[in-house]
Amino acid sequence: MTRDTGTLEAAHASIRMLIAEKLKYLVPMTIIFMVGYIGLTILAGFAKGLMGIKVVGAFNLGFLLIAVNYVLSWVLAIVYVRVANNVFDPLAAKAAAEITSAGASR
Amino acid sequence: MSTTLSIFVVILLITLGITYWAAKRTKTTSEFYAADSQLTAAENGFALAGDWCSAAAFLGFTGLTALYGMDGAFYALGPLVAFCTVLFVIAEPLRNTGKYTLGDVIRSRMHTRTSLLATIAGTVVVNFAYLMPQMAGAGVLVKLLTGVPYDWAVIFVGIAMIVYVGFGGMLATTWVQIVKAVLMLAAGAIILVMILALVKGNPFTLFDNAEAKYGANYLLPGNYLKNPFDQISLGLGYVLGLAGLPHVMTRFYTVPDAKTARRSVVWVMFLAGAFFAGTTLFGLAASIYVGQDAIKAAGGGGNLTLPLLAQYLGGGKGTFGGDLMLGFVAAVAVATILAVVSALTLSTSGAIAHDFYANWLMKNKADPKREVLIARWAAIAIGLLAIALGILAQGVNVAVLVILAICVAASANFPVLILSLFWRRFNTGGVVGGMTVGLVSSVVLAMIGPAMRGADALWPLVNPTVVSLPLGFLGAYLGTILSGRDLENEKRFDDFSLQVHTGISRK
Repeated sequence: MTRDTGTLEAAHASIRMLIAEKLKYLVPMTIIFMVGYIGLTILAGFAKGLMGIKVVGAFNLGFLLIAVNYVLSWVLAIVYVRVANNVFDPLAAKAAAEITSAGASR
Repeated sequence: MSTTLSIFVVILLITLGITYWAAKRTKTTSEFYAADSQLTAAENGFALAGDWCSAAAFLGFTGLTALYGMDGAFYALGPLVAFCTVLFVIAEPLRNTGKYTLGDVIRSRMHTRTSLLATIAGTVVVNFAYLMPQMAGAGVLVKLLTGVPYDWAVIFVGIAMIVYVGFGGMLATTWVQIVKAVLMLAAGAIILVMILALVKGNPFTLFDNAEAKYGANYLLPGNYLKNPFDQISLGLGYVLGLAGLPHVMTRFYTVPDAKTARRSVVWVMFLAGAFFAGTTLFGLAASIYVGQDAIKAAGGGGNLTLPLLAQYLGGGKGTFGGDLMLGFVAAVAVATILAVVSALTLSTSGAIAHDFYANWLMKNKADPKREVLIARWAAIAIGLLAIALGILAQGVNVAVLVILAICVAASANFPVLILSLFWRRFNTGGVVGGMTVGLVSSVVLAMIGPAMRGADALWPLVNPTVVSLPLGFLGAYLGTILSGRDLENEKRFDDFSLQVHTGISRK
């Protein structure tokens, strides 16, 4: 029993480490897309003139920022998958191995 | 009209064939609610794209852009950004902690019957608020597109969704979504290529021509959403509300593990995202080639923009190519409605048969065979109720209900889900507090706002999310604090976290 609890505690510790890792990546990534998108809606509401600055012909800054938001979402998605595969999954697998040896069922 | 009908009959036959095939593979609860969790990332990605692109997206975004310029492009962008939230914090934990429903997640965290009941309320309210305008929209659209009377169109849509869900469960619903998503993307790709051919491969020409025709103001924000706070509310509602829609959450139970759930989100982000970006160009092209006057004259509040554009691109009214393109796009639009109402029906039937009957009423000791039977009957009952509500809603302003659905999802479901997954102290009192405050504030603020009361509005915003979402979180926080500490529950949080992040549960 004592050994089991030890492994269980190890698993809980690994999970806390995983959560800390997740926060390290996901908080900045969430701030990036929230600032990017909510910032854009604030500009659309309060800075109409700015949004109308011409960039290419009639294509203005507002549409450019919308396009940037599309690209940003796609880039963040790819970054997330890479980080999840390389950083989160190994940590989760470690915790899973510890808990399985502590006798848990899936 | 007859082209639309014949193309649609072909699509209908395909989906009925799918339902027959799926029905033979749908016996157990896991098969009925979650297609036995055996879908691949690509399959689930396409089905998610189907869920994400309701008729409001397929037809609405193009129409809004054609009539109001940049605000339409904002509407189209939001659903893509929303998937960042889903990918980062929702998809994998949902796969790891739930079996079939949102209720499962909350139940495995809280172990209380009250929290389950509150979650059922959140699911059913959001789904019906979403289902009713879809039915009414179906009536209007099918009537405009095919000439079938409103009531008959609603009855037809209701019966089709009862058949898909009642017989084929999640497997049929999924493949109906996939077929529809493929057709929709194909239609989008064809239209995009034809538009690019018209402007000799330079999309900027569309912006120049639109400005030349309607002036620079057309390409500025604020033509549709006049109150700046409505812009922000819309943004928040999208980014957090779509993540709280139960019928979208259900999709993550159809894949075997968190990794597949993750990959399916990336699929939908590229598929639906590309389509949404396309609608902005379609809208601009429609304003130039079809013209705003012709779009307004066609009725449906701009919803016929895309079919009209397709008709123009195919060669114009009265030509074979024009009729064919119009018929194709219109048939896909009807298929879109069918697929989305089916997903809503299935998700609601899960809340009734799985959460309410099996887990609440029978205290988790229900006979699985009986549960599936009840889920099927629930689907039939929901379908009949949806038909009745759809017929009653004729001529009523149902737009407020769409706003309400997303607003409740953002203000009630989203805070409760997030806090359940990540806050140790969060307890049953918090679930009840968050659901109640989020739900009531959304409903009350939407009802006294301009969407419902017009000029007599007691409160200026059409979309109240910017206020009701913080209220929902506040209600969840106060509920937690005021109901005292639940130490058992806090102790369980370590094990629950383990499950959230690895999918392994300690029994």
